[in-house]
Amino acid sequence: MTATVRRARTTVWAGFAAPGIVWLVAFFVVPIYAVMAVAFGSIDPLLRTARPAWNPLDWDVAAMRAVLDRVFGGDLGRVFVRTFWFVGLALAGCIAIGYPVAYHVARKAQRSRGTLLALLVLPFWISYLMRMLAWTNLLQQDGYVNRVLQWFQILDAPRNWLDGDWPTVVIGLVYGYIPFFILPLYSSLERIDGRLIEAGRDLGASAFRTFWHVTLPLSVPGLMAASVVTILPMFGDYYTNSYLTSGSPRVEMIGNQIEFYLRGSSQPQTGASLVLLLMLLLFVLMVYYLRATMRAQREAER
Amino acid sequence: MRTSRRQFLARSARLGVLLGAGVPILNACGGDSGSSGSKQTDPIADGLEPERGPLRIVNYADYVSPDVIADFEREFGVKVEISTFDTDTEAIAKLASGALKADVHHSMATNSIGNLIQGGLLQPLNRSYLPNFANVLPAFTDPWYDAGAAYSVPYTFFGTGIGFRADRIDPAEVAAQGWDTIWNATAFKGEVSVIDDEREAFTMAMLRKGVTDINTLDREIIDAAVADVIELIDLVNVKVNIEGYKDIPEGITSIAQLWSADLISGATNYLPEGTGPEVLGFWHPPAGQYVVSNDAMGVLADAESPVLAHLYLNHLLDNDVSEKNFSWVGYLPALAKLDADYVIGAGYVPENLRNCVPTNDDIAQGLRFEPLGPEGDAIYEAAWSRFTAGG
Repeated sequence: MTATVRRARTTVWAGFAAPGIVWLVAFFVVPIYAVMAVAFGSIDPLLRTARPAWNPLDWDVAAMRAVLDRVFGGDLGRVFVRTFWFVGLALAGCIAIGYPVAYHVARKAQRSRGTLLALLVLPFWISYLMRMLAWTNLLQQDGYVNRVLQWFQILDAPRNWLDGDWPTVVIGLVYGYIPFFILPLYSSLERIDGRLIEAGRDLGASAFRTFWHVTLPLSVPGLMAASVVTILPMFGDYYTNSYLTSGSPRVEMIGNQIEFYLRGSSQPQTGASLVLLLMLLLFVLMVYYLRATMRAQREAER
Repeated sequence: MRTSRRQFLARSARLGVLLGAGVPILNACGGDSGSSGSKQTDPIADGLEPERGPLRIVNYADYVSPDVIADFEREFGVKVEISTFDTDTEAIAKLASGALKADVHHSMATNSIGNLIQGGLLQPLNRSYLPNFANVLPAFTDPWYDAGAAYSVPYTFFGTGIGFRADRIDPAEVAAQGWDTIWNATAFKGEVSVIDDEREAFTMAMLRKGVTDINTLDREIIDAAVADVIELIDLVNVKVNIEGYKDIPEGITSIAQLWSADLISGATNYLPEGTGPEVLGFWHPPAGQYVVSNDAMGVLADAESPVLAHLYLNHLLDNDVSEKNFSWVGYLPALAKLDADYVIGAGYVPENLRNCVPTNDDIAQGLRFEPLGPEGDAIYEAAWSRFTAGG
């Protein structure tokens, strides 16, 4: 193959990538720059609308500095910590419930696999909001959850689930996001070479040891991907807790603060600064994820 | 910055994580105010023919009766297009940037009207198109936010008090305690809520301590009010929302800081079967300590159908149209005919909720949320953010 042909082919492939790159620039880079321009901009003194500073030389970091002060050692810090807790617990719940399900569908279910997969996709048919609203009904004092728990005599008296307690929020997050967790994990578990597992058993390892030393390590990339797919939107969630607690200050997450500052306040710069801070945090998590997957891949190839 | 039930309903229809939060930012990026076309700075001339439409309205979702709109369309042979917004701030941002073009602003918060006028977003009204302005309650014909009602006409009005379950707490007890009812409601932990609005909640705490200068920027007074409201988190496990209109009738909430109009609409729409309106109760402070608020309508400076817009305002000020609208939205119009006796007689409001209709005295001596200026807003918003974050 001559150099010219090779170059021509590269150009063709670059051409194929162009729409994607344009898309990314238009809907990712530009909006992020807009967020930065708002965060470091000013507000119209009369109408209180954002006056974005498009020129980085005009950037004013006062709002960001105030936000950082409140995050490190202030009230917003507690909201960040709380958000981390909720997301962490919800992720643990997703793993505890989702992993066995994904494992069963991918490795054990034979004839029922199609049906089970369809059932897993089913929640996507209903809007997230509708599902949360359904829960508010189920969890009411005289709702079915209390009735069932009382019928089984697990509860003596109806519990007020919507009282602004954190377990309700964590349960809501797990319920809402678990389909996003199971599907990527399923596809990764399904791809594991069955011969490796058989080899483990042939070499005398028990079923558990084979799982622990063969299946689990091989599913780490899938587990990571599933975790990232679920926790990224969880960090920005602001409606699950609002719906399931009728707006209790005890369970406010960082997404609620962003919503307040961007939609209901005269300080969009503060909201935009919070968006940037959250993005930075998620970026750090993403970098960690990418490094971990690369490491896992290298180990798997060894 | 006022939030409302309409906002809540509208918000419920939206879903989005940071995407949702990104929308206002992008709207805000449309440019500085005044990017739109020609602006009307004087009232339109008398006797003009109405335009052929469409008439473009901006409003909260579900805040005007579809029948009332249909009647207008039929009468003038035009189409009406309604764009909705969630918060007053959002509406201003969109209108100022030119991202949203409209003829009529249906529901302006009164403390924004001054800025809308100064910012050149509204046009002065020509009263010759508004004969029904004569129907307006006298207390609203020269409102504090718009001298002589030159730029606006009132839409609905309501007062801020306490909505409660009369079958769980004695109305006499609420009347004796006043705003302290909320702080003393330790027996109703988790069933107490305050309005999701910084001005409303902190003002309540000020009024409880006898402060009636609710527009003060005195840090000591504001800080004390904030501390008192934060106290409610542990005292009564307070909720922050605007769902009292259904949560009280349904019994989820027992005691709530509430807009009077919400209880009227709750009594009509949200009582479970077999439960009568006698389980509901409303208390409000005496005139002079009672916050009475209203929404107002105006014609935008860059309206393409200003004549039609005037006719629409006039349509909404008609007694019959307004009654029809009230029966649908549950928020009282500021018209003299629809007073307490009338709406109770017509069966719109149960007798035991008579005090949900502010009297002329209440309105005349009513406390108002005046604009606080950028610094004042920032103080309130930071405090609100601290409270909703858990104190």
